[in-house]
Amino acid sequence: MSIETNHHIESPKEKQNRHKAMEAISLLNSLREDFKAPIESMEYFYDLFERVHCKHESLHDDKTKIGTMCIQIPSEIIYALDGVPIRLCNGFYTDDEIGSDFMPQKACPLVKATVGHFASNNFTDKPDIVFSPTTCDQKTKAGSMIESFGYKFIDVDFPRTKDSEASREYWRRSVKQFALDLSKFQGKKLTKANLKNAIKKIGYAQSLYNKLSDFRKNEVVPILGLDVFLVTNAFFFDKIDNWIEATQKLISELEIRAKEKISPAGKASPRIVYTGSPPIFPNYKIPQIIEESDGIIVADETCSSNRMFNDMVAIDEWNMYDMMDSMSDKYLKACTCPIFTKNEDRIRRVIQLVRDYKADGVIYQAFAGCTVYEMEQRSVLEAMEKEGIPILYLESDYSPSQGGQLSTRVEAFLESLKTRRRNKK
Amino acid sequence: MKYFAGIDIGSTAIKISIVDENKNLIGFKISASGSMFYKYAQETLDALINELSLDSNDIVYIVATGYGRKLYKEADENISEITANAIGARAAASDFGEIKTIINIGGQDSKAISLDSEGNVVNFAMNDRCAAGTGKFLDVVALKLEIEVDTLSEYHFKSTGTPLPISSTCAVFAESEIIGLLGNNHGIEDIVCGVHYSIAKRIVKLVKRVGIKEGIYFDGGPALNSGLVNAIENEIGQKIYVPQNPQTTTSFGAAIMGVDSYNYANN
Repeated sequence: MSIETNHHIESPKEKQNRHKAMEAISLLNSLREDFKAPIESMEYFYDLFERVHCKHESLHDDKTKIGTMCIQIPSEIIYALDGVPIRLCNGFYTDDEIGSDFMPQKACPLVKATVGHFASNNFTDKPDIVFSPTTCDQKTKAGSMIESFGYKFIDVDFPRTKDSEASREYWRRSVKQFALDLSKFQGKKLTKANLKNAIKKIGYAQSLYNKLSDFRKNEVVPILGLDVFLVTNAFFFDKIDNWIEATQKLISELEIRAKEKISPAGKASPRIVYTGSPPIFPNYKIPQIIEESDGIIVADETCSSNRMFNDMVAIDEWNMYDMMDSMSDKYLKACTCPIFTKNEDRIRRVIQLVRDYKADGVIYQAFAGCTVYEMEQRSVLEAMEKEGIPILYLESDYSPSQGGQLSTRVEAFLESLKTRRRNKK
Repeated sequence: MKYFAGIDIGSTAIKISIVDENKNLIGFKISASGSMFYKYAQETLDALINELSLDSNDIVYIVATGYGRKLYKEADENISEITANAIGARAAASDFGEIKTIINIGGQDSKAISLDSEGNVVNFAMNDRCAAGTGKFLDVVALKLEIEVDTLSEYHFKSTGTPLPISSTCAVFAESEIIGLLGNNHGIEDIVCGVHYSIAKRIVKLVKRVGIKEGIYFDGGPALNSGLVNAIENEIGQKIYVPQNPQTTTSFGAAIMGVDSYNYANN
C-alpha cells in the first residue's frame, strides 16, 4: 500500500523554467536586498528580468524576432527592417547542463548554455531566424548543430584579422549580404530613411550608456557594476524604446545621487575594471563576489556591456554607402574580441579604462573552456604589469558550487588593493 | 505462532516492527530515540508486545538495525540499515511491482540504494555525517519559520511565486539564509518550496550516482512530507512510490530478515 499523491509532475520544459526562475530570482533578490542605498529606478530592470525569466512573459509577440549570436550583427539594420534583435548569448547554468549533452565536456559554458537553450526549444521570444557571425570556433561550430535542431540559421562571415584593408572589405561584403538576406526574409526594402533612423536611435542608446558610465568616474560611485551589467544585458532583448526611457530615468536618479554623494560602495572600496568573458544574466558570479566583498566595478571591457556601446557609427554623409560602410567598420575595427590575431586594441582599451575611471586594479575572468580569453590572459597580464596596474586572473564556469574558493582569492586581491592605496598616501 | 521483531534504532526515532512467521506485519511502534537508546528501545518493544497482546516469549528472534543497532545487545542478530531497507521496501511495495531504487531520508543521513531484480543491494550512495538534506534539516527550517514540521507540505503547495533557492544546504548556514529571507519579507510558502527543491536536487544527485531507473521507493520520516515528495518527483521526472508507513520500512525489513535467519538456524 502506498500513500497516493496526485500532484502534477513537471514536464521537462516546466522543470527547465523553474530551474531558470530559481537561478534568476536568487540574483535579483540579492541585487534588491543585499546592498545599501538601492536605486529606485533599477526596479524597472529587476522587474523586466523577473517577468521574462521567472514569469516567462514574451515581450515581442507582435514583431519578427531576429536572433543574433554575437555583437557583430548590426542591430541598426534589424531595426531598419522592422525586426527586433534578440541576442541569444546565454548565462543560465540550467541551459549549460542541457547543452552539455551536445558539446565537448571542456567547451565554453556560454556556448553550451546557448546550444542547450536552442536544444530545449523553450523560448519566451523564439527567434524566427538566427544570424551568427563566424567569430570563435565554438560558436561557429555550434551553428550547424543549432541548424540541425530545425532553426533557420544563417552564418555571417566574419574575418579573424582586423588590421588589413582586405578584411575590412571582406566584412563590408558580409554586412551587405546580411542586409540582403534579412531584407528578403522580412519582405521589406532597406531604405535610407529607415537606416538613418535606426542608426540614430542606437546612437542615442549608446550616448545614454556613456552618460551612465560617466557617473562611475566620480569619486563617489553612485551605482553598482552589477546594476550596470543588468542594464546593458537588458539591451539584448528589451523593447528599445522602453529601455531608453528606463535608462533616462536611471540617469536622472543618478544625477541626484551624484550630487548627494550616495553610493552603494564603501569609502575605501577598491575600484575595479572588469574584463574577460562576458557576464550574462544570471551568471554574475564574479561581479557579485567582487561587489559583495566591498569592491566596486567602475568600468568593464566585455562584450555583454561596454563593447556593445563603446564606439559610435561615424558617418560623414547620410547616404546608403557611407552608412553601410561606417556601420560595418564599427563592428569590426572597434571590436576588441580576443578572436582576432593581434589584439593590441584590447590592451589599450583596458589601460585607458583604468586611467579614465581611476581604477585600483583589474579583474580578468575567463570561462574555463573559452580558449581565446584563456590565451589572451598572458599578454594582458604582461601589459598590466608593465603599466604597474594590479590584475587578478580567474577562471570560472556557470556551476553554482565554486563560490567559496573564488571569493577568498577576490577578497585577498581587494585587500591588497586597499593596502596599496593606503601606502601610496 | 512465532513472532519476530525488527528494531531500527535511528538518530531521531526508534522504529519497531513485528511480523509473524509468514512475514505478515502484525504491528509497529515509533518513539523518539532520546538520549538512552537502549532503554527506550526496550520500553518501546515492551509496549508494542503489550499492545498486540503478546507475551515476550512469543518473540523468538530479534534483529536490530540502524545507526544505534550495536547498542541493543539483546538482539539475536544485527544487520545494516541498507540491507534491511532493501528487504523491507520490496515487501512493503509488493502491490506495486519491482522496486529498483530506494531513496531514504533519515534524521541525519540520506541514501540512495540500487537493487537488482532479486532485490539484492547492488550499489548505494550515502551522504554521511552531514545534516544537509535530511530530516534534521527540515526540523531546523520549521523551527526557524516558527511552523510545525508536519505543515511544511501545506506551505509548499500554497507557494505561487518562484521557489526561493537556498544556496547552502548545510543546516547551519541555511539557517542564516532563511533568517535573511524572512528579514526581507519573503513569503514562508516560497521559502519552504525552495527548501524542498534544494533537498530534492541534492537527493537526485545521490540517486544519479547509483543510476536513475523506474520503480523508485521513497521512505524515512521526510517521505511523509508530500511537498518534498513532489519536489523530488519534479526533479527526477517521474512518479515515486511512498509506502503507507514510510518510517518503518527498515524495521519491517529487519523483522523479515529475522524470519529467514530463524528458519535457517532451526531447519
